[in-house]
Parts: sequence; structure tokens; C-alpha cells
Amino acid sequence: MDTVIRTENLSKLYGKLKAVDNVSINVSRGEIYGFLGLNGAGKTTTIRMLLGMIRSTSGAAYLNSVKVTPGNPAMWKDIGYLVEVPYSYPDLTVRENLDLVRRLRMIKYPGCVDLIIEKFNLGQYSDIIAKNLSLGNSQRLGLAKAMIHNPALLLLDEPANGLDPAGIVEIREMLKDLALNKGVTVFISSHILGEISKFATRIGIIHEGVLLHESSVSDMENQRKVCLRVKSKDIMGAGNILEKSGFATVLTDEGVLEIKDKEAVSYPEKISALLVNSGFPPSLIKVEEEDLEAFFLRVIKMKGGER
Amino acid sequence: MKEFAAALYVEMSKALKSKMLWGTLIFFAFIAFMLGFMMLVAKHPEIAGNSAILSTKASFIAKADWHVFFGLMLQMALILGLVGPAIVTIWVFGREYSDRVIKDLLALPVSRVNIVLAKFVIAFTWSILLMSLLFVCALLAGLAVHLDGWSSELMLKNLRIYTVSSLLTILLFPVISLITCISRGYLLPVGVTILLLISTQFLFLGLPSITPYFPWAIPGLISGVSGPFSPKPEIISYVILGLTTILGIGGTVAWWRYADQH
Repeated sequence: MDTVIRTENLSKLYGKLKAVDNVSINVSRGEIYGFLGLNGAGKTTTIRMLLGMIRSTSGAAYLNSVKVTPGNPAMWKDIGYLVEVPYSYPDLTVRENLDLVRRLRMIKYPGCVDLIIEKFNLGQYSDIIAKNLSLGNSQRLGLAKAMIHNPALLLLDEPANGLDPAGIVEIREMLKDLALNKGVTVFISSHILGEISKFATRIGIIHEGVLLHESSVSDMENQRKVCLRVKSKDIMGAGNILEKSGFATVLTDEGVLEIKDKEAVSYPEKISALLVNSGFPPSLIKVEEEDLEAFFLRVIKMKGGER
Repeated sequence: MKEFAAALYVEMSKALKSKMLWGTLIFFAFIAFMLGFMMLVAKHPEIAGNSAILSTKASFIAKADWHVFFGLMLQMALILGLVGPAIVTIWVFGREYSDRVIKDLLALPVSRVNIVLAKFVIAFTWSILLMSLLFVCALLAGLAVHLDGWSSELMLKNLRIYTVSSLLTILLFPVISLITCISRGYLLPVGVTILLLISTQFLFLGLPSITPYFPWAIPGLISGVSGPFSPKPEIISYVILGLTTILGIGGTVAWWRYADQH
């Protein structure tokens, strides 16, 4: 597959602070790459380096095999982007703002402004000045500016910010359609794994500038921890029986036993039978999968992420 | 060339749709008509009535004729020729930072150099417009007041001084644009403009021997607006003036091209 985005040991230092530390990423054509991290993790700095807005301290970034430099305007022709909060000229209307972008994108067809207004349901706001738009509609305008030229590569920094749930679903479906049916490559940053995992094909998790984890979404599903949670009236007795039978248990603060043993997770009925036969019938027995938030926090090694 | 034309169109649209353009035009016209009003008061002191401020100001005007009026206009050219273009360039460049839209101009098929040059063209044209408006409106005000001593020769002589002084001062505005871009806002360049204005006046009054080497004093020397007792401009004065303009333009282009844009 064609590699559309490639970074080689990309790093950015601000004094002694390593904002981005040796990040190497490869994104292929038609992929939706979810770039996850907490606030200040290095997501926006990475995107700015991909867009040539800031220079890397070391390493390099390539888009469509062309090295990113600020002095190569031709390379931005097929690239759309949205970085952080999308602002527009406050005293210009939605239509005027989009028309300026059209001209700077060298698009001759003026009708593309109407098309993008329609696509993002901005019709009723087209003659409203940007400073009077709601946060959600400002975000839509930002996305419309990023997509007015039907780019082959989209770099989007937290595009769901400010959108209502319906707007989030709408944008998600739009990006999925662009990637699946039009081969558009999407590089999207977020701090919400649950949202990104719904449509990304691959994810990378960055923390304190370091790319800690990279996998396909299906691989990530396999890496999520699964455990069996057991509750009984005599929790200590139940725990002893399970330990004697070779199942390591952890007693949680909620008074629940957690067993991570693969056999126990795969055959919970065996555990149930063991406890019943030993006189410690379970009042609760449940296979629990680590949720995405916990997985994310575990990967970035934050307290509370461990289960 | 198409890229530059696109950038120029965009910058022109932004300027034409801004309140700033019309605000500065009205302000400059107002200043010009106020000059005319001062002459009217000087000519007819009874208009000032009991207003001490008005009559005091009008009393500074020795004689209400065209010679004095053109002298006032040239003084205005020295002050507003510095302040007007500075405010314009601070707005043209600074708004991208204050409106937080600078990032939308950095990764486009139109190069950053073209965008910066388009901004310079707009700021230069806008400044010329303001200075022309000031002269035309002041002239109309002078005619309306029926000042004595009009002659075409006098007008043309002062127009030449006014034009040279204004144009040379306008050419210095790229330094302000560089300061605006580096500081990413309005405050510092406004402060620097005020400092330059005060410094220039101070040098003319206190240290006239330095004026041939101070960029913002040089236009006054070359045009002759600073008067016959000021030092004559030297070759180095022209070099300093040219280098300051080049430094401003080159520095601003380099800043957009090479500096990290956050």
C-alpha cells in the first residue's frame, strides 16, 4: 500500500522539554489513523510538524513521499487540515470565509462554496458573520474549510470538539465514507479512545511526546484485558478455594474477586461449579472486558489505569 | 503570478470588508478638516467664543494663510505619516494573530511569501490612500476657509515635500510588520510606534546631528519638511533608509518562512 504519511524519529524540543520524542509513524492510503493522547501529549505539535508550521528539532516528516518543508506550497494542494480550535475571520460571513479559502486553494469553480455549505448543513448560517456562530457551527465551518477542495489527505486535530452527539456521528460517518469509498487518508487526533475506535482502522497512543502504542483497532481489541469477576457471601472462603485450585485472585476494594486466568475467563461455568461444590456458591459471576478508557489509561501508565 | 493574484485578492477583500479601512479613512479626513477649522478660528477668533482651549490652540497659528497652512500639513505628514501606516500594517499583519487565523495561511498552494507580499501591497496602498486623503481634504478645507496667499507654485512645492516625506516614511513600515509578527499581536508594535514618534521628535529638537542616521528622521531631512536649519541628508542616510526597508520586508518574509508558527 502507498504510504501517505511517514515520520522518521520526529522530535521537537522546547528547551529541555521533549514535546515530541522520536515518533515514527506510517499511514497508508485510505487508512483512518487515530492519534490519541491526553492534553499536552504531543498530538498538536506532531500535526503542526506534519503541516510544516513548526520545524522538527530532529527527524523528518514526509507526506506522499515529499519531505515536509514550509517552502513547498505545491505539496499542500491535496491536503486539508484543521488544527486545534478552528477560528475564522470574525467579521466575515460563513460564505465569505469559505470563498477566501476557495481562492487561496486556487479552486476556479465558485460553486464549491455552495456544495460544501450544503455538505456541512451550514445553509441557514451562510450569511451569518463567523463571530456570531455557535461553537458547533464554528467547528463545522472549520471542517468545511478543511474539506472544500476534496483533499486526498486530511489532518484533523480534535475535530469533534464542540460538536453535539448528532454532529459527531455525522462527521464520523462522513470520514468513514471518504476513507472507504474515496480512498481519502485521515489522520485524526483525539483524547477519546472510545470515539476514535468506532471508525479508525489503526491507532497510535502518544504520551509525554513518546509513541507508546501502535496497532490496528482489531489488535487493540485483543490486547484489552479480560477478567472474571466473582462475588460470594464468604468472599475469603471462595478466594481460598480458588487459590488452592490454582487460580490467582485479586480482591478488589468493592469485595469482588478478579481472576485473570485464561481458562477461568474462557470457562466461567467451571469456576461456578467449583465454588458451588465447595460450599461457596457465587452470588455474582461475570466476564468483564477492560473498557477502552481503562485500556488507554493503562497504556499511558497512569494511576487508575491498572486493573 | 496566479498565486500572488489570489493572495492579493484575499487580502484586498479582507481589508475592504473591515471596519478598520473605513475608520482610518474617516479619521484622516477628520484630522484634515480639523486643520481647516483651526485656520478658520485663527482667521475669525470670535468663533472660539469663551473656549480657552480652542483660542489657545488657534493662537499658535501666526497668520491664517496658505503658507502657514501648508506648514501645518507638513507637520501632520511627519506625525501621521508614521502613525497611520504603522497602525495599518499592525492591523494587516496583527489581525491574523489576534483572530487566530494565522494557521489557515500556512499550508496552502499559495506560498507564505506571496501572502506576505500581498499584505505589504495592501498596507502600502492603504497608507498612500490615507496620506492622499489627508492632503486632498486639507486642501478642500483650506479652500473652504478662503485662506489668503494661494498660489499654484506654493501648492506644488508643498505637495512635492509632502509626497516625498510621506512616501519615504511609509517605506519604513515593514519594520513594524516584523515586530507585529514576532510579538504575535498588537501591543508591542503600538508601543514601538509611539516610541519611534517620540524619539524622532526628540532627536529633531535635542540631537539634530543624529537625525541623518536615524531612519524615521531621514524622510524629514530628504523632503525638507524639517526645515532649512536641519542637517542635510548624507549618502549614508539613503543607505540606512533603504536597509531599514529591506530589513523589514526581508525579516517579515523570513519570519513567515522559517520561524515556528504556533
